[in-house]
Amino acid sequence: MRPFALTYARRPIPEPETSFAYDPEQQLNVLADGTPAVRNHKVLLEAGSTTSTAGSKTHFDD
Amino acid sequence: MTVLILTRPEDVTADMVVDHLNAMDAPVLRVDPADFPERVSLTASFASGALTGRITTEHHSTDLRDVRAIWVRRPGPPGNGARAQAAWVALESDHAWYGTLRALTGVRWMNHPDAHTACRYKMRQLVLAQTVGFNVPATAFTSVPVDAKGFAEAHGPLVCKSVSGQAPNDPPLALPTTPVPDGTDFAAVAEAPTCLQTLVDKRSDIRLTVVGSEMFCARADQSSPGQAELDWRYADPQTVRWRGVAVPPDIRKKTESFMKLAGLVYGAFDFAVTADESWHFLECNASGQFGFIELAAGLPISRAIAGWLAGLRRPV
Repeated sequence: MRPFALTYARRPIPEPETSFAYDPEQQLNVLADGTPAVRNHKVLLEAGSTTSTAGSKTHFDD
Repeated sequence: MTVLILTRPEDVTADMVVDHLNAMDAPVLRVDPADFPERVSLTASFASGALTGRITTEHHSTDLRDVRAIWVRRPGPPGNGARAQAAWVALESDHAWYGTLRALTGVRWMNHPDAHTACRYKMRQLVLAQTVGFNVPATAFTSVPVDAKGFAEAHGPLVCKSVSGQAPNDPPLALPTTPVPDGTDFAAVAEAPTCLQTLVDKRSDIRLTVVGSEMFCARADQSSPGQAELDWRYADPQTVRWRGVAVPPDIRKKTESFMKLAGLVYGAFDFAVTADESWHFLECNASGQFGFIELAAGLPISRAIAGWLAGLRRPV
């Protein structure tokens, strides 16, 4: 029998598509042109990377 | 001085703080402990009564004696990449990494691992919340179907949520807080401990983020009474409109007491607000997200965290 709580389980929210990658030298995620992603709020909001979404690998305990 | 930030590379929310620290000319070493020892090195020596050593990444390094603040944001587990005797290497790595950091003196933690770990346990949180005077919905953990049925009769209507706050990962699933319908068969409670809680008939959600002695409060009113999605994390983002609001004085006082009892300097509290403006404690996330609140409600949380880590704000 399936655990009771899993009666209410759903498919996880997909990891957001991001247009930036971590730059270990700057210690920041950067856009393709090298500027920090954090300076571009539109990009952050579109990516949903700062959002509270329990169940994703970066948002494990929101 | 160095601010040591422990988090995963893709954690762009941490970037918001790093950017402020850079502007403050505060030296930062950002590390994911999961990369230790493969891509991050540590040497710590205790000799002649002194603890010395270095942490080094591909491009950066710090003397352990320079570390003044440690932000445990969202780190991976140390020794995550071992190929031989993986579990043992992970254990050795964990003890080397956190054993060293815990031994450093004169370091301020946000949050200390002991406080963070203890705060992950939901029932302890609820007891602490009740102790400081918050309204706390009746909650049960049970693996006994008849007890679950009895709890529903006494304290329903109920919601079901994860005991741990985490969802299963094999395969990955999401587990939102969800109402339990009347007449539910609780037999499957015997398969795994289950968290049942009285449903709060809320009109608004509150996310109250605490950074040291500062509080940042955001409120999202329901678009319609009894809206379909109870758990705002899973609602249509267009229907969840966060706005900054003042913290009621009694809530501030109780929150300060909770933080002190829990040993936390950072916490993201969730409350449900009913039609009569009563606040009901749901949980405190010791490493809860804040970027979405900052962006949506314009609350300067990342600046406050950077200031606390850099020592520009009074620690609590």
